[in-house]
Amino acid sequence: MATNLRNYVIRRALLLVPVLVGVTLLIFAVSQLLDPYMRASLYITDPRQIRNIEAIIQKYGLNQPFYIQYFKWIEQVLQGNLGWSQSARMQVLNALINYFPATLELALYAAPLTIIVGIILGKVAAVKKDTAVDHLLRSMAIIGWSLPSFWLGIVLLAMFYGGLGIFGPGRLSTWAEALVLSGQFKTYTGLYTIDAILNLNGAVLLDALSHLVLPVTTLVIINVAVLMRVMRSSMLEQLNKTYVIAARARGLKEKVVIDKHVTKNALIPVITLSGLLTASMLSGMVITETVFEIKGIGYFAARAATQLDVSAVLGFALFAGTLFVIANLIVDILYAYIDPRIRLG
Amino acid sequence: MVLNDDEHLRIKDLVVRFYTYEGIVKAIERANLQLKKGETLGIVGETGSGKSVTALTIMALTPPPGKVENGDIFFRKSDGKVVNIIKLNEYELLKIRGKEMSIIFQEPNAALNPLYRVGEQIAEAIFSHRLKEMLEKAIQRIQRDIKDGNGGFAAGLELWAYNKMLENPNSISLRFVKGLPIIKNIITRRLRQIVREEIVELLRLMEIPDPYRVVDAYPHELSGGMQQRVVIAIALSCSPALLLADEPTTNLDVTVQAQILDLIMRLKQKFGASVIYITHDMGVIAEISDRVAVMYAGNVVEVAPVKELFKNPLHPYTKALLESIPRPGSPFKSIPGAVPNLVNPPSGCRFHPRCQYAVEECKHKVPVLIKVSEDHQVACLLYGG
Amino acid sequence: MFSRKVIKEESPRIKELKFVLRRIRENPLSIAGLAIVIFFTIIAIAAPLLAPPITGRDPYMIPRYGYSPIPQPPSPENPFGTTQGQYDLYYGIIWGTRTAYRIGILVVVASILIGIVIGALAGYYKGIIDEVLMRITDIILAFPALILAMALAVAFGPGLDSITLALVLVWWPAYARLVRGEFLRITSEDFVEAAKAIGCSDFRIIFRHVLPNAIFPLIVMASLDIGSVVLTAAALSFLGLGPPEGYADWGQLISLSRNWIIGTAQNPFAYWHVWVIPGIFLFLFVMGWNMLGDALRDALDPMIRRR
Repeated sequence: MATNLRNYVIRRALLLVPVLVGVTLLIFAVSQLLDPYMRASLYITDPRQIRNIEAIIQKYGLNQPFYIQYFKWIEQVLQGNLGWSQSARMQVLNALINYFPATLELALYAAPLTIIVGIILGKVAAVKKDTAVDHLLRSMAIIGWSLPSFWLGIVLLAMFYGGLGIFGPGRLSTWAEALVLSGQFKTYTGLYTIDAILNLNGAVLLDALSHLVLPVTTLVIINVAVLMRVMRSSMLEQLNKTYVIAARARGLKEKVVIDKHVTKNALIPVITLSGLLTASMLSGMVITETVFEIKGIGYFAARAATQLDVSAVLGFALFAGTLFVIANLIVDILYAYIDPRIRLG
Repeated sequence: MVLNDDEHLRIKDLVVRFYTYEGIVKAIERANLQLKKGETLGIVGETGSGKSVTALTIMALTPPPGKVENGDIFFRKSDGKVVNIIKLNEYELLKIRGKEMSIIFQEPNAALNPLYRVGEQIAEAIFSHRLKEMLEKAIQRIQRDIKDGNGGFAAGLELWAYNKMLENPNSISLRFVKGLPIIKNIITRRLRQIVREEIVELLRLMEIPDPYRVVDAYPHELSGGMQQRVVIAIALSCSPALLLADEPTTNLDVTVQAQILDLIMRLKQKFGASVIYITHDMGVIAEISDRVAVMYAGNVVEVAPVKELFKNPLHPYTKALLESIPRPGSPFKSIPGAVPNLVNPPSGCRFHPRCQYAVEECKHKVPVLIKVSEDHQVACLLYGG
Repeated sequence: MFSRKVIKEESPRIKELKFVLRRIRENPLSIAGLAIVIFFTIIAIAAPLLAPPITGRDPYMIPRYGYSPIPQPPSPENPFGTTQGQYDLYYGIIWGTRTAYRIGILVVVASILIGIVIGALAGYYKGIIDEVLMRITDIILAFPALILAMALAVAFGPGLDSITLALVLVWWPAYARLVRGEFLRITSEDFVEAAKAIGCSDFRIIFRHVLPNAIFPLIVMASLDIGSVVLTAAALSFLGLGPPEGYADWGQLISLSRNWIIGTAQNPFAYWHVWVIPGIFLFLFVMGWNMLGDALRDALDPMIRRR
């Protein structure tokens, strides 16, 4: 049995390569929409190189046919050169690395919370189908799913920060930020909450957490809606199956039937969704980060888009696409781990 | 006395309806049936006759949106007491399902949870009803091991756990320990061994040649016949007195069908169980039943000992069924018309649109089962029913 | 002999339609959704009446009542007040409905058409064509919609047409997959073999047999998508990739409101109209379509499942 799993993992991992190639092709195709002068920004590592733009165009063959360009570009990408971002005033790759911890921190809290709450609510709604609880949850789900994320963020900010003066935008209050940037605070991960714990600094921890409340709430409200509905319909689908009747026929308590048998089967499609959700959170919640001024890669991308900083936007898209493909792989492996039937296929 | 001494189960005036989007399906209308102790009662009928619903309702597992509207199901438990299944609460039903009566399904693949190993699913049944017996065996074994010096370091802990489970299964200390994954495995080691051995024996009884492989297999790794044997193993794991078999061989290969049928009958002998065997195959009915009940569109239309039914079928539907069995040399005879829509069933006798003996009265009066001779009942106006 | 009655039954399609309509009627959410959708449709159609444009100007450019950045509260002249730059909010909301519908319908219809063509090609001819087309859709679907749309919009340059095109390019793969799936399923059924056997041309098979069956899931998907498309378009506008400032677009209006959520020192909600009103309209529009789409999906579900 274990070898089956291992073989499956190997097979799926190998598939990764062509898909990643496809992702790069797509980004490359988008870049072709720009004229060679604009595309030059994808290759330069220093703004002063702009003065020699003709040389750049020659060097990377920006006037030559697709396949030549593509290989030159891939060559650069694999060496870590994603170009220069004017909006961030640093190399694109560096910008991504710099801004990533903020996104990671946000996702760290938002993703597990969304998944757990979504699964629990979906289960409750399914088990109590057609009761008041179910209708309430389903209505909340439709509302959550229809809310524009930027608007929800604005409303929450207005109510709490504007109205009550708490939970402000950004990641830290000014005093905390000053402290963090000073020499007294050691930055291990770039995630302020973790670093605060490692520095045994409760005040900074609380401050960072309080700044996370609203953005996490926004993300959770919108994403729980989707997850909950999938979990609910998945459970309802399982509840009609013969093996559930068979389990009851063995004399098992209803609670055991639901928790042990139905839930595990119902979780399968939910896992895919959870994986995709986490991936989308890690690839930067563009809107949420912008509204709450959390300087993660989504914020970086949004600002780049506003300033038409093509290299940044494309670099970000490449990063996001790659992340998604990897996330899909992980989800597939998880899938195979849980459902033994998949390993053969 | 609601149940005669020799009766095991009696269904009285059962009415089951399904509340669906397309209307109310009157699946079973005033069905009456008796099962004698130790006999094999065959229930035969086409798809839609209500046979599966009857079986599930006997176990109080009527699938939603079905509801039992009326009627009683009297059942004699192994301790002699007679209960009405319809009126039991969930707690009492849990004690009956799997232990006093169990069911074998039509599709063995669907009846097993694809995510768990087969052995584990069998173990569920055993843990539900035979826990005490297993615990006592485990205690015996551990005491013997300790005496032999084979205790192992956690033996004392295990012994404590088993004794605790015997006297107070819901105790807090037990629940706490159950929550710790590694500890839980350590202190239940021998118990799980014992149950595993029991399961292997059970599988051997099912004539499975390599039980050790099957115990750890997932359902999709087994063939249809093997899966069905597992399902039967689960059903018989706690030695039920009543076995319900809902078309257990219909979805299997022909060769396997005969094997499984044979197995079921031999196990019936061995366990001394009463069997209700549901099928649409007259040949199987003829082979294994003691008595036969014929169902049509939710009604029981005829009941008789098997020889009597085949020799002297009274109800027009039964006659048509027997005539429709293909015989080499004679032309195909089918029953005209189609199985009725149970949302708007025909008035009066539900068979009248397809019956060649139907008279005007048949459209208005619903026939009831009456005794025509010693053991032969029929529900047809032709016989005064 | 036994009597035979010939019962004239309604054509199965009419029966199905009646069934679907009844299920829709019985679902309160769908009534609410339908009401909301009708409400917005009326506003969109009646825009010139409700908010008469200034002659000579592009009706989609919101009239300005001054140049001060500070939004003014509702007044008889500006029923919803003005937003940053003194754009009349009421006008912007009314004509913004038209913008929303324009984008939503254009993108969904275009995606469906492209999806049908590509999905049909892939599903019907299978083989290499199928493989290639499916790899392309896979790769596009591998990206989160907003991010890819962002990349495309930046490459095209900002503007309403730009984001419309970007959204179409991002959305069609999902429809192609759906249509292809239906094609594969239906062409594997026996009646298609039979049709081929009696000599029906490919075209005829596609039109008379495959498409009518594939319609239901397409309708469900389309109605659920209008909301998502409009949301994503608004997000792109919010980021500044959409129409220019002053254009009647809800996303634009919300982005103009960002500076005013704090209010003044005395009254934190002084400028509530600026961020509450456009957001509520956007939210209601999306929710209405989502409810309708959801209800449609529930109603058509047995038909989708029955297959």
